[in-house]
Amino acid sequence: MSEPIIEFDNVTFRYQSDTESEVLEAAVKNLSLKIYEGEFVAVLGHNGSGKSTLAKLANGLLLPESGKVLVDSMDTACEQDDIKIKQTVGVVFQNPDNQIVSTIVEEDVAFGPENLGIEPSEIRRRVDESLKIVGMYNYRKHEPHKLSGGQKQRVAIAGIIAMEPRCIVLDEPTAMLDPVGRRDVMAAIKRLNSELGITVVYITHYMEEACEADRIVVMDDASVIMDGTPREIFSDTEKIRSIGLDVPQTCRLAQMLRQSSIELENDLLSIDELVNGIDKLLKG
Amino acid sequence: MIKDITIGQYFPLDSVLHRLDPRVKLLAATVFIIMTFAVNNFVGLLLCFAVAAAVIACSKVPLKTVLKGLRPIFLIVVITSLLQIAYVKSGIVLVDFWKIKITSGGLLTALFMALRIALLILMSTMLTYTTSPTALTNGLDRIFAPFNKIGIDFHTITMIMTIALRFIPTLIEEVDKIMSAQKSRGADFESGSLIKRAKALIPLFIPLLFNSIRRAYELANAMTCRCYNGGKGKTTMNALKFSGGDYLSVALTAAFVASVVLLNIFCGEYNAEFTFNAAV
Repeated sequence: MSEPIIEFDNVTFRYQSDTESEVLEAAVKNLSLKIYEGEFVAVLGHNGSGKSTLAKLANGLLLPESGKVLVDSMDTACEQDDIKIKQTVGVVFQNPDNQIVSTIVEEDVAFGPENLGIEPSEIRRRVDESLKIVGMYNYRKHEPHKLSGGQKQRVAIAGIIAMEPRCIVLDEPTAMLDPVGRRDVMAAIKRLNSELGITVVYITHYMEEACEADRIVVMDDASVIMDGTPREIFSDTEKIRSIGLDVPQTCRLAQMLRQSSIELENDLLSIDELVNGIDKLLKG
Repeated sequence: MIKDITIGQYFPLDSVLHRLDPRVKLLAATVFIIMTFAVNNFVGLLLCFAVAAAVIACSKVPLKTVLKGLRPIFLIVVITSLLQIAYVKSGIVLVDFWKIKITSGGLLTALFMALRIALLILMSTMLTYTTSPTALTNGLDRIFAPFNKIGIDFHTITMIMTIALRFIPTLIEEVDKIMSAQKSRGADFESGSLIKRAKALIPLFIPLLFNSIRRAYELANAMTCRCYNGGKGKTTMNALKFSGGDYLSVALTAAFVASVVLLNIFCGEYNAEFTFNAAV
């Protein structure tokens, strides 16, 4: 495999407490993780497992207390590489309202490239292309506050894409959206990965979304506890449920069937696979 | 309900005036407003009105809408006029009844003042009707760009304006949400004395303020992620560029200033008595 685009090397981070005497628990503890170029990685974990902190550590918004975060071999603690790091790894947050700066969609998308001092004609090209890939080109002259949540989130994603990052980290981008918005945002993100080859780190607590990834990293209690393909992760239903996460409904059904001693295979993830599996059993 | 508000009073049309560089419009409007106060005779004022009429015609904004914009200042005009009538005591006495004394000078000064205020409002509304808030802040940013070199950080000020414009609808929506949440738990915003109603707003503003601060943090993070560093070395996608129309507007503005100055010199300050006599 290629070089890691983001490398967390034994990272510990803790937030400052409001009162000096109190020392808070580490939000991320001795975490090591490598994200490779071109991957689509989902990070799963319940609230407070440290996954949002992971997103902010990934491009130097937060700096580790100990250990190192390397973005394309640049240390995030090194101030002179700051702009380059943020250009390489873009972060999209949960609330689209709090990420949009301008009163017109296309001007908002242009914000990043403008800050980078790119030529106006090149900015125009990037803005148009970014809006097309997230499917918001027809809304380029609209005012963001008149868009739906899913549309706003896609504008926020376009704003990051316009800086032409090699990796994009999304921190629960669909948590505040309705099912339609969630589906559209997910489709846009998959296009980024498959068509533009952008590395995607997708932080979520929706199992169904995590299944779309090539690789799942499960976080619990400030560190990584599982790391593997969706099939590997969800075949271990017991462990997933022991840390308070849910497995996809297909996995649950398969497991229940197995418990009643029906010999079903262990790695059936999608509905189609499960249907085929059961079908095979019935015929066989 | 408030989802479809438009900020400012931009009237999106495609006219010569809409296409002008915002810097030109800002400067022309400022010059025009200064000239309405510099003009000292009715001929000059007539010229100002002719220019205003031409501007309205070029903008394609319906006259009705423009005149509607004058409505809120009607009261101010009336009060100013009454004050002028009460205080200016020159010219011929027209009415002298009990304590009221109206003179021709008073009437004419009042009329002059009222027309001036009307012109002022007309021109500034034309500016906001034909220029989007974004274009306006963009124009201001450029006009004041030289100040950045002498240490006044004007870019930050225009950035603040842009963000304020961007968040007005978001905050209105939020007020709406908080109000509904509190109403559903029995809060009463509509009845009682003024003081009681004002007090009822306190539990509305505290969560609003708290949320705004949280939003500000998140926005700051998002802006940092998009390499914002205070506007150093920033470029603009829609770079403002002077076109033929812009040069023509500048020339017309200059011609207008010259005409007003000439009229001031040759027609002289209006003489209340003389004008009145001539009129009668």
